[in-house]
Amino acid sequence: MRIQFWGVRGSIPAPGPETNRYGGNTSCVSVRSVAGDLIIIDMGTGLMHLGNSLLTTEFGKGHGKATILLSHAHWDHIQGLGFFAPVFIPGNHFVLRGQGKSSSMLEGILEGQMDPNFSPLYTLKNLGASFDVRAVVPGEPFMAGGMRVTARSNPHGSSTALAFRLEEDGRSFVYASDAGYPDSGPSPEVLALYRGAHVLLHDTTYIPADQATRRNRGFSSYEQAADAAIAAGAGRLVTFHYDQDYTDTDVDALRDACRAYLDDHGGQHIDLIAAAEGMQLEV
Amino acid sequence: MKVKFWGVRGSIPVPGESTNRYGGNTSCVEIRPRGGWPIIIDAGTGIRRLGKSLMEGAFGDGHGTAHVLISHTHWDHIQGMPFFSPLYRRGNKLHVFARQQADTHLQAVFASQTEDPYFPVPLVALEAEIQFHELVEGSQFVIDQTVVSCTRLNHPWVAMAYRLDCDGASVVYCSDTAPFTDILLEHEFISKPPTPGAAMPTSMADKLAAMRAGLVALCRGTDLLIYDTQFTVDEYRQRPHWGHSTPEDALIIAREAGARSLCLYHHAPMRTDEAQDAILLATRWTAKQAGDPFEVIAAFEGLELTLGDDQ
Ligand SMILES: [Zn+2]
Ligand SMILES: [Zn+2]
Ligand SMILES: [Zn+2]
Repeated sequence: MRIQFWGVRGSIPAPGPETNRYGGNTSCVSVRSVAGDLIIIDMGTGLMHLGNSLLTTEFGKGHGKATILLSHAHWDHIQGLGFFAPVFIPGNHFVLRGQGKSSSMLEGILEGQMDPNFSPLYTLKNLGASFDVRAVVPGEPFMAGGMRVTARSNPHGSSTALAFRLEEDGRSFVYASDAGYPDSGPSPEVLALYRGAHVLLHDTTYIPADQATRRNRGFSSYEQAADAAIAAGAGRLVTFHYDQDYTDTDVDALRDACRAYLDDHGGQHIDLIAAAEGMQLEV
Repeated sequence: MKVKFWGVRGSIPVPGESTNRYGGNTSCVEIRPRGGWPIIIDAGTGIRRLGKSLMEGAFGDGHGTAHVLISHTHWDHIQGMPFFSPLYRRGNKLHVFARQQADTHLQAVFASQTEDPYFPVPLVALEAEIQFHELVEGSQFVIDQTVVSCTRLNHPWVAMAYRLDCDGASVVYCSDTAPFTDILLEHEFISKPPTPGAAMPTSMADKLAAMRAGLVALCRGTDLLIYDTQFTVDEYRQRPHWGHSTPEDALIIAREAGARSLCLYHHAPMRTDEAQDAILLATRWTAKQAGDPFEVIAAFEGLELTLGDDQ
């Protein structure tokens, strides 16, 4: 499978020359299966740019199909939906899977962002594409785009966010953004989800000093990300969801500090990559 | 007074190299009367950096007061509010003004912006004291030495234009609006646009004419007219129902109202810096051909203008 990053920032888009290299768009990652099927993970502002790039494919003609996995509904993970060009083309179809007590509740959450007070779209029904919105049952695998997908729930401040594991032909990719673990670290179920991942993309919103003052916000520093990668025996760790105030130089420093931390804690063999907009990874 | 632009983009923030010069943050303008507290118009993502800069002064000690005038609550005009640092310091005061809605209180609209599951910090958890003030169009009120007037615009769910008079100068903020010619935008969702130039019912035409007259009166003789010019003429023809204007529409209003300068604003998200330069040059050329006496500029992040008596 092939991964591409369209938005790697947390909380709110961060435009400006100081974020040109890593990018200022919020969370959005695409995954292509070997057969070319598309899975999109999270719908931050990066989704707009993914959408524009899809217009030259079957999505431009209204024959596109994709699965969208939604970790949770904070604005930095849904803002791109109303700007995703393929949703305005009738015939395109999206299966959207995320957390919610029921599928109708999840659909209601997405409806909420189209509310006419906030958006000129008024309702999801005004989008030309069709949507099949379904709540995920954590721990129950399902098939999407030829890949086997499993989700588990992580604590995230006062709420929760889903982490996803995607598997195809014995290769595995885990997406774990917006994770605020207790001091004991990830739960056994979550650690099992991460276990042996070829690529573990993990929330690294903060450096430890910043995390210490903002503990209640429910994000990881690179230390929790590195600990999780070491405990799970991941092959490669990808840093992601950088704080909106971090410049490119700050993210360089975060990556270097994470590398040093891995080396000091038994993770020398783990490959480390700092996610940047536009970057592609073959798993 | 000083006018400073913190976000000039419409619809959605657009980080990246192609917007480095004009800036990728959404709508936010700070008006600073001489010796007074800031009056902020719109709370798009640009307000985040404004908040940081305010924290270096009285707001950092919890002794600041700010007034925020909201044109309308579309996301690109309010997204930055929960990231406005002064709200997290006890003692600061914030007055938020926006148009009264028929069935929803302004406070409820802002509360739902930050409620679960959309945002981790609810409005009630903020440290600063926030007061909401609902406006009807045509109302006039005073903030310290500044007189604020408003009138409604032609935009889905309705937006407000504001005029601020103080220090012997004035500024008008007119965003977001469609021109007043082809379609009336209120609370109905319009899925199929009319053909620009096609005839419309008299009641609709009358309402648009009144709205336009209200705006021209608001802009009369203003020193600076900040105007939604998101669309090119071609883009407008395709999407007249999206509620945005072209620079040509802005020139017509500026001319009729005798504005002293026109500022292009609310730039389209996919507009690169080079494309925006070209739009500015073309608009200046059109104004020159028409013999317009006013200056045309294009807003960019960080642009600061001094109007009237500000010594
Ligand atoms: Zn997030
Ligand atoms: Zn707008
Ligand atoms: Zn709007």
